[in-house]
Amino acid sequence: MSAPKSTTTGLKKRENAILDLLKKGLERKCFDTVLIPVKVPAGDSYVWVLAQDNSLLDDASPLPPVMPVHGAKAISSVMRRGKGRKRIATVMRPCEISATIELSKLGQVELDNVFLISIDCPGVLPLSDYLENPKKGGDAFEKVFKQWGNGSVRPICQVCHRFSMPTGASDIHIGMLEAGERDIFIISNSPKGEAILKELDISPKKEIGSWKDKVKEITEERKNKRKNLQEELKPGVVGLDRLLDTFSKCINCHNCMRVCPVCYCRQCYFDSDKLKHPYEDYLFRAEMSGGLRFLPDTLLFHLGRMAHMSLSCVSCGSCEDACPLKIPVSQIFGLVADETQKLFDYIPGRKTDEPVPMATYKEEELKEVED
Amino acid sequence: MGKYKKDKVLVVGAGIAGIQASLDLAELGADVHLVEETPSIGGRMPQLDKTFPTNDCSICILAPKMSECARHPGITLHTYSSLTSVSGEPGNFLCKITEHAKYVDPEKCVGCRLCEEKCPVKIVDEFDMGLRTRKSIYRYFLQSIPSNYLIDKNHCLYLTKGACRLCEKACSAEAINFEDKDRVVTLNCGAVILASGIDPYDPIVHAQYGYKRFKNVVTSIEFERMLSASGPQRGHVVCPSDGKSPKRVAFIQCVGSRDVENRNDYCSSVCCMYAIKEAIIAKEHIKGLKPTIFFMDIRAFGKDFDRYYERAQSQFGVRFVRSKVAKISELDGGRLRLRFAQENGKTKEENFDMAILSVGLEPRKRMEEFSDRLDIKLDEFGFARTDLFTPLNTTRDGIFVAGAMSGPKDIPESVMSASGAVAECTNFLALKRQERVSKKEFPPERDVIGDRPRIGAFICHCGINIAGVVDVPKVVEFTKNLPNVEYAENLLYACSQDYLNTIKEKIKEHNLNRILVAACTPRTHEPLFRETLREVGLNQYLFEMANIRDQCSWAHMNEPELATEKAKDLVQMGVAKARNLTPLGRLPVDINPKAFVIGGGLSGMKAALAIARAGYEVALIEKESELGGNLRDIYYTLDGSDPQKLLQETIKKVEKNKLITVYTDAKIEDITGYIGNYKTRLSSVSGDRPSKTANRKPTTEIENGIVIVATGAKEYKTEEYLYGKSKRVITQLELEKRLSSVSGGSKTDPTVRMENRPPKTVVMIQCVDSREEGRLYCSRVCCGEAVKNSLKLKEIYPNADIYILYRDIRTYGLTEKYYAQARDDGVVFMRYDLDHKPRVEIIDKENPDSKLKIKTVDPILGRQVVLESDLLVLSVSIDAPQENEDLAKLLKVPLNEDGFFLEAHVKLRPVDFATDGIFVCGLAHGPKYIEESIVQAEAAAARALTILSKKTILAEGTICSVNPDRCTGCGVCVEICAYSAIEINEEKGIAEINEAMCKGCGACSASCRCGAIDLRGFTNEQIFEAVNSVIGYR
Repeated sequence: MSAPKSTTTGLKKRENAILDLLKKGLERKCFDTVLIPVKVPAGDSYVWVLAQDNSLLDDASPLPPVMPVHGAKAISSVMRRGKGRKRIATVMRPCEISATIELSKLGQVELDNVFLISIDCPGVLPLSDYLENPKKGGDAFEKVFKQWGNGSVRPICQVCHRFSMPTGASDIHIGMLEAGERDIFIISNSPKGEAILKELDISPKKEIGSWKDKVKEITEERKNKRKNLQEELKPGVVGLDRLLDTFSKCINCHNCMRVCPVCYCRQCYFDSDKLKHPYEDYLFRAEMSGGLRFLPDTLLFHLGRMAHMSLSCVSCGSCEDACPLKIPVSQIFGLVADETQKLFDYIPGRKTDEPVPMATYKEEELKEVED
Repeated sequence: MGKYKKDKVLVVGAGIAGIQASLDLAELGADVHLVEETPSIGGRMPQLDKTFPTNDCSICILAPKMSECARHPGITLHTYSSLTSVSGEPGNFLCKITEHAKYVDPEKCVGCRLCEEKCPVKIVDEFDMGLRTRKSIYRYFLQSIPSNYLIDKNHCLYLTKGACRLCEKACSAEAINFEDKDRVVTLNCGAVILASGIDPYDPIVHAQYGYKRFKNVVTSIEFERMLSASGPQRGHVVCPSDGKSPKRVAFIQCVGSRDVENRNDYCSSVCCMYAIKEAIIAKEHIKGLKPTIFFMDIRAFGKDFDRYYERAQSQFGVRFVRSKVAKISELDGGRLRLRFAQENGKTKEENFDMAILSVGLEPRKRMEEFSDRLDIKLDEFGFARTDLFTPLNTTRDGIFVAGAMSGPKDIPESVMSASGAVAECTNFLALKRQERVSKKEFPPERDVIGDRPRIGAFICHCGINIAGVVDVPKVVEFTKNLPNVEYAENLLYACSQDYLNTIKEKIKEHNLNRILVAACTPRTHEPLFRETLREVGLNQYLFEMANIRDQCSWAHMNEPELATEKAKDLVQMGVAKARNLTPLGRLPVDINPKAFVIGGGLSGMKAALAIARAGYEVALIEKESELGGNLRDIYYTLDGSDPQKLLQETIKKVEKNKLITVYTDAKIEDITGYIGNYKTRLSSVSGDRPSKTANRKPTTEIENGIVIVATGAKEYKTEEYLYGKSKRVITQLELEKRLSSVSGGSKTDPTVRMENRPPKTVVMIQCVDSREEGRLYCSRVCCGEAVKNSLKLKEIYPNADIYILYRDIRTYGLTEKYYAQARDDGVVFMRYDLDHKPRVEIIDKENPDSKLKIKTVDPILGRQVVLESDLLVLSVSIDAPQENEDLAKLLKVPLNEDGFFLEAHVKLRPVDFATDGIFVCGLAHGPKYIEESIVQAEAAAARALTILSKKTILAEGTICSVNPDRCTGCGVCVEICAYSAIEINEEKGIAEINEAMCKGCGACSASCRCGAIDLRGFTNEQIFEAVNSVIGYR
């Protein structure tokens, strides 16, 4: 890859500061390896790489402009069969961290030897936009970074109210807002994080008040925007007929399920033989409603996924990004998820020791849906 | 004793206690005869609406036990019968029973109620407490078992006046038999358990309350019937005077309890809780209802009761007024005016729409005559007499008592005493270890795998129950055309023996391999039809039932056409499911006939002895170096029994028993396994059987079939009220120890005798650290303990002034009389509020052991009172030990919020865990008195014996299985399984189900998003197929 032509941008400077931190960690054996997005040799995308040596980190990008593979999917495929002895550090966006925590509660990733480093996230560009012209995409993302999200990021990113992790499940958080031109805030979020910072001789910055205020301000702003977006969305998607309309163009590629970080079944029920019925059954169903659409069970697939995933949905937007038909999947899921999560006072990925609502039983719950 | 042992046992009274005793005995292999006075088993529970503190529906939780009891091959029911005499000796009693004539042949009667419609006689219904009328031919109550009708000979026109016989004409089953006579049955029994229960108090003598004079004054049991959804008012509570919903109702406590004038000077133990329950349920039924409870003390002493009481106030807004109501008068329109004295002495009047008298529990009428006939003695109140440390034995050897017959009891106490009595019985019975549960032989099963489904569908008329609404022939015609249906027929009563034979014939004739019966509910009838299938060599799981009665003809009585359409749908779904049924096997699980008891206190020792008495080996482990537990610290009881003697005798019995191996200083390292097959690793065992030479091993492995948790609890070490700072502040147990040494002759105890003088003033504070946030439960025994110690103090130092500062005095049951005695002896009881807790100061600040000054606010005077005291005694709470958590994790059983072990069901399964094969007793379950611990220990032993007494048990056929190719090992199912039957295999990363522990509830299957778990007999395919059939075929 060619050396940067122009002067190092603000974004790149921050990324370098993070990479320096990781390199130092590798050198001092705070961790043995780093899982991080690295630009592909062709320069038009990013992939997750388990980087063993420092040189690989030169091409790494802790905050890439796109999210082709969700970080939680990456880390869980590393750790799916249980933990090893080596310690991994990984830098991820907050939605990736949250999904990782969800997966750990569901036994899909073992976090004992993992250091989770979260990072303030301005959003990511839709993959298709970026791929039209990766160079331009890179510049567009610079702008996104400067303006802290704008109209060119994924629609769900534009209304993301969990773009930072002021408290939360990561071990270390990297704050960027209000950190000054070249600087980052390094904040320990857990005892594990605190220990690492100590080993790295980094004393956490005490003056993070301005960062906190800014995060709060944007969070509030985004919450309102999210509400507005959802109100706009509702008339088009609420009710069975509207929902059928919305998903009628679905081509049953199931990409949304494949890229979803919290869809963790080995084989999706909807891909299995369990939903393949004898010809007679299809005839009956066709008879009943005058006709039967094929491939069948399209809406059932989306509703099923919604029922299964809405409590753990982190609104990352991967599904929508992967939809070749541009169905606003993640906006619809976000709308439902906000409601179901509120019902159980549950925020996915908030804490590691908070069980998923499906695994707990309280005598006094869901009173509002009784009668 | 034990000369003649029989396998027959007589149980008298088929309330919950009698039912439980019968079921346990039958499971032990005994031949049980259950005698019941009324026409149905069930007792008092069917009359109740809900049960506290979980608000479970009473009949819903009881009905399965009732039908289990009726179905059990080891139980013979004698309803509408009475026990006339018991002669002979223990192990060889001769019991005479009179079975009263019912005039309806139970073999023929199918309960179709045609006769009832025709009967012209109307009489007051005793089951519904006179709130409705019944006919002279009647069923005792809707869910009666047996469900047959009977004729009340005292009111039947034909039997009294010689003319009518309308019922006979109406009965198409020809079941009426006016020639029926009383029969005398003679049984040769090894032992007898009496469980004839109680009667509710009749408040007619309390003229001041106007019961029966004022329409809107009702008893609590009448109110239960009003609240009950299956009661005469279907749960609609209205004022009897005008039929309107009440807005303000008053509950008046202690009517016929704690009442010296009417001889009932004991506490009925249950009224506070049922009144709170009725107030909560009534409030749920009537929006905006304002219930007020007038009480003396709220006795919420049971497990989780105080939380219920707290919720009644905070969540439901039930108002509690500490006052005895003096008089009720009637206003125009039937409304009531209550006059009551407030705590400050001022009289107040308030108007209410209804008043509910919380009537107490009384010994049964004719108890004296009954006890004479049986030659057992009664106590001063008329309950069956028992001794404190043998609470299950009557005064006659070989005759035991269970339930409230020996004193007021709540449902779980009754259940425990029933199981406990069973454990006591085993001494007089000859019971062999059973090969299998079933005594019946069945032909070998036909192999139907791979055969095309050949479905036989039988549609039941159920007399007019179904056919009166649903067009049954039309449904049959429809059914004949469904795919795979080889044969369809309508049957008048599918469940009667004739028609069961028809089903069997048709199975053979048409070579049917799947059977559908469309009739009533599988809850009551599925076992019967399954057995029918087995009788002709079909696997019992090839049976499917469609409920076209409860869920169709009964629900849509007024829309016969639509009901017929729905019946078709239900049948069609049943056929679709039947088509996909597969034969299921039941895994046999071998039972290791050895018991493992954790905890060597009184409960643990009693449980071990009871199991050894039945002939099974027991390993008893104790973490300390000697047996005895908390009993070592108890020196006397309220009634003068000697606990130390009990302790020494029990230890001696345990040590002498060859079947019991004691491990002291033992620590549990690990417990693995499941019902019938537990393995435990013990460490630092320093003594094996004490009688042998010490056998020191670093770790010991023991294998057992069942586990009993009897780990006890301990006195909480408080930091309140200067405890630990002044020598003058001690706990009740510490006082008891010192008093025992004083009464033993030594007069020099420094703490009781202050400055070498007898104590002048002693103050006791109740509920220290208890019944408030953080420890919101009652320790149950402290009120009795304080009364006991104050009486003892008075006995030694008659001139000492004793003050007991309390919140509610909870001397429930027969202990109430000692509370009265303490007041008579001059002990001063002074109430305090949680908002104004007493304050304790040391008078001489320089000398921490100087006298104490106790300041408290007396609510009667309404001002502060200062007491100067030589000694302050604290009634501290009984605390669950921290170690419970570790043990709970090892056994995979739950704890309640307060750290005590949580039983499977607080009412009906008080010593079981949801996980089979593990039981709990004693303080590990919650605070309780010595006698209660004994009962519960015996109960746990009896429940354990129901397992140990079988060589093999069969796991259910309808259980869950994991598809390893789909499972991701997320563990949601593990969390959700109430029976701890699922574990994640860490190596494979998938869930594994222990078939012996799975109950087939299907919760895991529903929670599995990967669709990796299927419930056999209810697989996704079967259910989808059933649903699709109605969506598709139409």
